[in-house]
Amino acid sequence: MDNSAPDSLSRSETAVTYDSPYPLYAMAFSSLRSSSGHRIAVGSFLEDYNNRIDILSFDSDSMTVKPLPNLSFEHPYPPTKLMFSPPSLRRPSSGDLLASSGDFLRLWEINEDSSTVEPISVLNNSKTSEFCAPLTSFDWNDVEPKRLGTCSIDTTCTIWDIEKSVVETQLIAHDKEVHDIAWGEARVFASVSADGSVRIFDLRDKEHSTIIYESPQPDTPLLRLAWNKQDLRYMATILMDSNKVVILDIRSPTMPVAELERHQASVNAIAWAPQSCKHICSGGDDTQALIWELPTVAGPNGIDPMSVYSAGSEINQLQWSSSQPDWIGIAFANKMQLLRV
Amino acid sequence: MDDIDSSDGAAAARAGEIGSIGVSTPWKPIQLVFKRYLPQNGSASKVHVAVKKPVVVRLTRDLVETYKICDPQFKYRGELNPKRYLTTPSVGVNNDGFDNVNYDLILAVNDDFCSSDSRQRYIVKDLLGHGTFGQVAKCWVPETNSFVAVKVIKNQLAYYQQALVEVSILTTLNKKYDPEDKNHIVRIYDYFLHQSHLCICFELLDMNLYELIKINQFRGLSLSIVKLFSKQILLGLALLKDAGIIHCDLKPENILLCASVKPTEIKIIDFGSACMEDKTVYSYIQSRYYRSPEVLLGYQYTTAIDMWSFGCIVAELFLGLPLFPGGSEFDILRRMIEILGKQPPDYVLKEAKNTNKFFKCVGSVHNLGNGGTYGGLKSAYMALTGEEFEAREKKKPEIGKEYFNHKNLEEIVKSYPYKINLPEDDVVKETQIRLALIDFLKGLMEFDPAKRWSPFQAAKHPFITGEPFTCPYNPPPETPRVHVTQNIKVDHHPGEGHWFAAGLSPHVSGRTRIPMHNSPHFQMMPYSHANSYGSIGSYGSYNDGTIQDNSYGSYGGTGNMFAYYSPVNHPGLYMQNQGGVSMLGTSPDARRRVMQYPHGNGPNGLGTSPSAGNFAPLPLGTSPSQFTPNTNNQFLAGSPGHHGPTSPVRNSCHGSPLGKMAAFSQINRRMSAGYSGGSQSQDSSLSQAQGHGMDNFYQNEGYSGQFSGSPSRRQLDSGVKNRKQTQGGTTLSTGYSTHNNANSSLRSNMYNPSSTAHHLENPDTALSVPDPGDWDPNYSDDLLLEEDSADESSLANAFSRGMQLGSTDASSYSRRFNSNASTSSSNPTTQRRYAPNQAFSQVETGSPPSNDPHARFGQHIPGSQYIPHVSQNSPSRLGQQPPQRYNHGRPNAGRTMDRNHMNAQLPPSNTNSGGQQRSPRSSSYTNGVPWGRRTNNHVPNVPSTSHGRVDYGSIA
Repeated sequence: MDNSAPDSLSRSETAVTYDSPYPLYAMAFSSLRSSSGHRIAVGSFLEDYNNRIDILSFDSDSMTVKPLPNLSFEHPYPPTKLMFSPPSLRRPSSGDLLASSGDFLRLWEINEDSSTVEPISVLNNSKTSEFCAPLTSFDWNDVEPKRLGTCSIDTTCTIWDIEKSVVETQLIAHDKEVHDIAWGEARVFASVSADGSVRIFDLRDKEHSTIIYESPQPDTPLLRLAWNKQDLRYMATILMDSNKVVILDIRSPTMPVAELERHQASVNAIAWAPQSCKHICSGGDDTQALIWELPTVAGPNGIDPMSVYSAGSEINQLQWSSSQPDWIGIAFANKMQLLRV
Repeated sequence: MDDIDSSDGAAAARAGEIGSIGVSTPWKPIQLVFKRYLPQNGSASKVHVAVKKPVVVRLTRDLVETYKICDPQFKYRGELNPKRYLTTPSVGVNNDGFDNVNYDLILAVNDDFCSSDSRQRYIVKDLLGHGTFGQVAKCWVPETNSFVAVKVIKNQLAYYQQALVEVSILTTLNKKYDPEDKNHIVRIYDYFLHQSHLCICFELLDMNLYELIKINQFRGLSLSIVKLFSKQILLGLALLKDAGIIHCDLKPENILLCASVKPTEIKIIDFGSACMEDKTVYSYIQSRYYRSPEVLLGYQYTTAIDMWSFGCIVAELFLGLPLFPGGSEFDILRRMIEILGKQPPDYVLKEAKNTNKFFKCVGSVHNLGNGGTYGGLKSAYMALTGEEFEAREKKKPEIGKEYFNHKNLEEIVKSYPYKINLPEDDVVKETQIRLALIDFLKGLMEFDPAKRWSPFQAAKHPFITGEPFTCPYNPPPETPRVHVTQNIKVDHHPGEGHWFAAGLSPHVSGRTRIPMHNSPHFQMMPYSHANSYGSIGSYGSYNDGTIQDNSYGSYGGTGNMFAYYSPVNHPGLYMQNQGGVSMLGTSPDARRRVMQYPHGNGPNGLGTSPSAGNFAPLPLGTSPSQFTPNTNNQFLAGSPGHHGPTSPVRNSCHGSPLGKMAAFSQINRRMSAGYSGGSQSQDSSLSQAQGHGMDNFYQNEGYSGQFSGSPSRRQLDSGVKNRKQTQGGTTLSTGYSTHNNANSSLRSNMYNPSSTAHHLENPDTALSVPDPGDWDPNYSDDLLLEEDSADESSLANAFSRGMQLGSTDASSYSRRFNSNASTSSSNPTTQRRYAPNQAFSQVETGSPPSNDPHARFGQHIPGSQYIPHVSQNSPSRLGQQPPQRYNHGRPNAGRTMDRNHMNAQLPPSNTNSGGQQRSPRSSSYTNGVPWGRRTNNHVPNVPSTSHGRVDYGSIA
């Protein structure tokens, strides 16, 4: 019986595609499983005030993705990041929390049983103005889930206490816009900036930060950052207008351990494998998603990726589900695709 | 194949269901949706040109722009961003909120400076250091894609003016003396005003030597590194000495490593306290641990004080700790005497202002205690003990840390621990090098500034050269060469000759002839010298040379000031030049000569050259005394400064009663100067005088378009380099030969040369002398050999001329033949002919105002002036030193007088010929007052004309 099942699967059926009415950018996998399957949130990218967040239901058994119209809601400005609450967050209700960043940090409660989405809070970190400096990204601490860190155009990183909806602390993290933030441990996070540096902060010593990388040319912006949760010694970052994925070892500041250079255009997204410490996936403007395996020592000719997938358009977003590590999600044009690995 | 695929699929499915990684097999992606990657062909380009920006860029770097497209009413102002301030405190108080309470510009990351001249932008990225002067920021220059260090001076007039001095000195050093950046002086790139703050842009360097010792846990560096650093510092110090500049704050914090590309190269920085050797106005200089004994004692100082600091630095590099970490001046001096086993010489102690603070006079009969001896003679002074000091000053002297357990220098160096597990052979080698180091340090930390080694001498020590060290090092002579030059000046002192002649020689009738030739100024000179030559009494007048030396030094200082300030005071420089030219125009001869300079590059026949005509009237075959003018004139052409001192004396010989009074005044002056002036002072002053004279001469050339781009001009500024310059190229070989002839002219009368064999080789020797591209310590050996050979040839030549009339004719003909043979030879002749008159006129211009400074300087004596110390790039050291190390200045009420005096130095340029004759007489009268004052107080011969160094009280 088991043998016959794989035979019956055709190649095209191993990719699950969702066609959205509008372009997509932000995307998040939920760690909870509802009655109808795992939830996926996607955010629109419309150059308009009115944008939308859709909640999708993914059934890996039937290989289907279905939108849940009741759980679709409006979001001001295109969201820069979406994230479901980590599984370590215990809540009395069965609802799922979703966070979105943009003009503010917003918290939403997704309650499938009642088919409702309730805005919980809108968090403003600006002390001087009714307008918050826009947030470029955020990360939810999965070790200490009441802690969430946002990064902003105003050169700061803000650490929030989600339970109390207040600022725990705010640091001037960089000398220019901060583009991404990633937690490593309960009190340790890293950030990347338009000033071209990757810095590590420890909340127990807020006066100092450690620079572990600076782009070769000063002020070449770094766009995104991914911290390897399987091996906290490693991080990955991408540079603007560059086809490189830079792999860093925090024990060797300044010198990358590897530079992955097989994309044919600039790289837009990166994600470490949740089930392996040596694998990372990247997506770029060359419409390709590449899976790399980091060798112990790099060869003289550089590193080739193990696998490649060609989407139909530039890949803007890429997420590797930690609750379903066999699936990678990518967003390109109006589509969101789930790829089995 | 299908089976394998099925198996993978099944395994993956099973793993997926379990939700964990398979235990036995590491995870691998299955090749379903993802395919195996195939390497791309080379034809594919690396990065496509993006048609539009990726979404990730539009939601990160361009997020504000994107959101404004979404909603035109979206508001965001970057100015409201929290700023990371680098300046402490960061609260705006002064200058409309741009400055804090300390008058420092408040710096934040990404602040933007703009220099209107160079159109460079400087973006602040970090703070490198701060001090009394202001702050130093690390800035990014987008136009050049590089980092620089920008010194932001406090917004206060005193610091502003002091910083302008640094800009002037450093610009001169970089462009004029070290255009190829080989002497380890920091490069200055730019300077501009920003929010009323003077900003100076330097090359960005790395950590300083103090920080280097610190990261080495205050253990000493290896001897090879110490030697390497010492070599480089000596190159910088040699350059400063050539330029007549004293750094005044040499210490490990002001010596920085270069960028990581050159890990063992260093640079000297922070010329904020530097001054010219002839403008040593401030007495509170040098950081305490590196302060020289003459500065501690309040004695006149020279570039030798930097050599003392250098010795302290070398010791500290080896030991890892400062050699004289005194808690007070008394403590430092006490340690010096204890560690070095000597004390300052009596001639310094007798004249120094602060001697009574640290020494008691015990006479020469009894030498009690351990005061030490100097030069084999027992000292008339003994250092005070702590108790004696306390009794006098009514307070205990501050005592610093004792690192070396009261040992002397040899014991300290010898007992420094060797590296662990060092092989026996290496121990023996290092022991030998340590002995060389001890000898080296003793020469650098010689109490007598006149005997302290110069950079040139120190660079030849075995510790530096690496030669085996076998016995105490005898530095090559630098002083005797200067003495010889001094004697030559004595030889040509016309006033002196006339004065003695009037009473002693039958040439009285010659004196009466001089007034008849007043109008042709230049032609008068040969007759004066002829008389001088005939007066035996003029030889050996050593003190006379000293007087001339000092007198000329004053003028040199005046000229030097404009030269060094040129980057900032260009109008002043041009005004000075124009004045000189205008005055020269009053003389028909001078006017013609000026006009000829534009044609200097063209061929000149004898028939059309006025300089040749000057030879024609002199009859050939007459008495030997009539040939002396040829040699003397040529020599004087090479050293135009020698005419300066003759001016007041010559006029005093016209027979007026005041003239006799002036003569008497000279005698007093001679006695005073002779007694108080150390030979080192004479040497450096004389060398400076020579250099300045030539410097002015060639600067005019540069002004007219000649020599302006010559990097070798740096060689013109000292006696030694002057010779090298004359050796460079065939066009100047004649000058060199003449110079040596002039030298030998005197020697032939004092010593009998052994042979005439070298006479014929003299021209070849001169012509074949190599031309060094730049100052190279290794080249000095060859140069010395050449000079010795040249001197020997010259001696032979002179002997031949003196002994046989026929030979003299031959020599004379030979020189004229050289002039005929080469058209290019005419240029040096023309220049040499022109220089004396020019220098003469300039002296007349400069003499009157240069004497005034003495009177005004005397008025400054009651109020001493202080320069705040700078601790750049190493604030951590602040916490380890006593607060006294950073004393601050006091107000100076003399600034207004200084400004007035500046005006006095620029007399009207329309002086007529009659005025010229009156000026020397006037200066003769003025001389009386300052000399008298000097006799009483021994004021250093320093004009107080530097506004930039006026110091106001500073708020730390």
